[in-house]
Amino acid sequence: MHLVLVGLSHKTAPIEMREKMTFPAARQAEALSQLTSDGAVAEAVILSTCNRTEIYALSADAERGVEAVLSFLTDYHDLDRHDLVRYLYIVKGEAVVRHLFRVVSSLDSMVIGEAQILGQVKEAYEHAFENGATGRAFNRLFRQSFEVGKRVRTETAIGENAVSISYAAVELAKKVFDSLAGRTVLIIGAGKMSELTAKHLVCNGAVDVLVANRTYERAVELAQRFSGRAIEYGALFERMRDADIVISSTAAQEYVVRKADVAEVMRGRRGRPLFLIDIAVPRDIDPAVNELSDVYVYDIDDLNGVVESNLEERMREAERAEAIIEDEVAEFLRWQESLEVVPTVAAIRAKAEAIRQAELERALKRLSGLSERDLATIDALTCAIVNKMLHGPTARLKAAAEEADGYLVVEAARELYGLDETEGGRGSGLLRTLLNRRAREIHDTHAAKETGDGLGC
Amino acid sequence: MATAAVIAFWFATVLYGGATVLYAYFFLSKRPSYSWYATFFTGAGFLCHTASIGMRSVAEDGTRLDGQNQLILLAWALVLVYFVVEHLVKFKVYGVLLVPAGTLLMVVSQFLARKGAAPVSPLVENWKIGIHVAMIVFANAGFIVGAVASLAYLLQERQLKRKKASVLFKRLPPLASIDLLARRAIAFAFPAYTAGLMLGIVRAYETDQRGWWADPRVMLAGLVWGVFGAYLALHYSERATARTTARLALVGALLVAVLAVVARTVPAGFHVFGV
Repeated sequence: MHLVLVGLSHKTAPIEMREKMTFPAARQAEALSQLTSDGAVAEAVILSTCNRTEIYALSADAERGVEAVLSFLTDYHDLDRHDLVRYLYIVKGEAVVRHLFRVVSSLDSMVIGEAQILGQVKEAYEHAFENGATGRAFNRLFRQSFEVGKRVRTETAIGENAVSISYAAVELAKKVFDSLAGRTVLIIGAGKMSELTAKHLVCNGAVDVLVANRTYERAVELAQRFSGRAIEYGALFERMRDADIVISSTAAQEYVVRKADVAEVMRGRRGRPLFLIDIAVPRDIDPAVNELSDVYVYDIDDLNGVVESNLEERMREAERAEAIIEDEVAEFLRWQESLEVVPTVAAIRAKAEAIRQAELERALKRLSGLSERDLATIDALTCAIVNKMLHGPTARLKAAAEEADGYLVVEAARELYGLDETEGGRGSGLLRTLLNRRAREIHDTHAAKETGDGLGC
Repeated sequence: MATAAVIAFWFATVLYGGATVLYAYFFLSKRPSYSWYATFFTGAGFLCHTASIGMRSVAEDGTRLDGQNQLILLAWALVLVYFVVEHLVKFKVYGVLLVPAGTLLMVVSQFLARKGAAPVSPLVENWKIGIHVAMIVFANAGFIVGAVASLAYLLQERQLKRKKASVLFKRLPPLASIDLLARRAIAFAFPAYTAGLMLGIVRAYETDQRGWWADPRVMLAGLVWGVFGAYLALHYSERATARTTARLALVGALLVAVLAVVARTVPAGFHVFGV
């Protein structure tokens, strides 16, 4: 069986094409049914997010599998094949495993290290599983991919450190105050960016929001969105004494907050730090304010600098993540190899030969005075019995390998002949698999529901 | 028993050294497994350290209070306080600074080793002196924790002011939590130090020691008390910035180091049994 991936992403296709290629959750059952109705595709998972559409398929013949997926995509979305192919990437075999592991670890995402993709892949797998579009191979592949995603997030710092301006502001505020719980935020100017930053601060625990704007009505309007309070613009510095974090984003052409004003404010604060975020251009806060003790001023360039530095760190962590992925790809390939017919047949024959030799040796100890000819006859006899016993299973295994679900027969043979027993039970075997499958599926479905975070993508 | 104590001491020193390296790796790589091993090494070192102190006390019919042993006791108290801090604040990053400090104390103590049995002053043979030493040792451990936190505060504040998202910035805890730890460590250490000094003064009066206050060690101890007293007064009255008080804590810790090492090498004055 061959793994095949056909897809497009933000790296290969513009938004116009990506939006044409989406598979909404409500229509995935129908799409999966259509995709697997063609005998060329044995198992399939459709991953559809705002940044990518990918179809993972398992097929007895790689070329036929790719062809089936391409035909499905063009038919389903009513697209011109030549137009579509320009944006697609087609991946086969081991590279599919590596690609999936990279996707789930968010190494292929627009923002490296973002957390949503793991939940999105889980959701895609869940749809396929519930609609009977996955089998043993994809169940193993996707479940392992979730483990890879978790490993990468826990063993590297790829998901740490903010990579957006507003989150960087939150991260910096936490470096000053530790927790934002109970903190007061003062917004100067009712711009969109300050609103977004304030929203993140409130989500992280800030409770009190004060809004000052030259137009008092706009201040009231913004304050209502945070259940906060509008203040008179003239009372700005008086109210700044109560604030822990100040976000300024006005359209003023000159500094709105000067060093002398903040120095006065700090006199009444008894050493309580003040964190000022200036996201206005031209700047609202005089940079000299940063010279005051216990006052920290960050403008838009400073925040950008933090974001860039964090992105660089994520890139460094991505290298460590690649090493983890290579480990996991190797493990999956080992598992896949164990399901191949030739090594299985060889293992069965080796085991039978070992048994024959041992039994022959034991019997010959009891039989004394045999001639060379007798010994050769007995040896040939045991060989013939073993060969005849194994001929049928070997032929049937080879024939089964050509079938779509042939690996199930191979796995059953490995279980019946106990081929994986010496490897510490790595191959779980069909019998145990059948008994444990449902329990694992229920567990995994619950785990997937806990971590999914689609953010509308 | 004495040989076993020495072996346990060196085992402890090596384990603390190993923990220091692991904490450094943890700080740079931020891999939790390193911090786990570092804590394990520190814990194993602490057990060896405790066994060494216990065996040495048994071998010598009591715990010696000379300069060398006081540094060993200080290292022991420091590691113990570190474990308490780690349990309370859950920041492993303090181990990066405190465990090396403990290791350093262990190594430095070996340079203060004296040959032959130390003469035991009759002044020492009193329960008040045992408590006096224990109080001061634990207080010093608290002051070191406070100073290390203050150093972390100054480093972190500098990063924030310079707007550098460096490794140091990312690894060090937030300013508020560092400041809180420093303040609490010093606030707990200061009463212990005061009580330790008071017991020493009471003992000096009891034994009718004239001019006890003129001893360089006693004067330095008074200075340490004054600096940390000022730290607490300024911090709790909020009359100084956190940066100023952090610097004050570092000055206090420097005086503790001077008192612990340099002053003990001066063989003059009333407090000679500390040499």
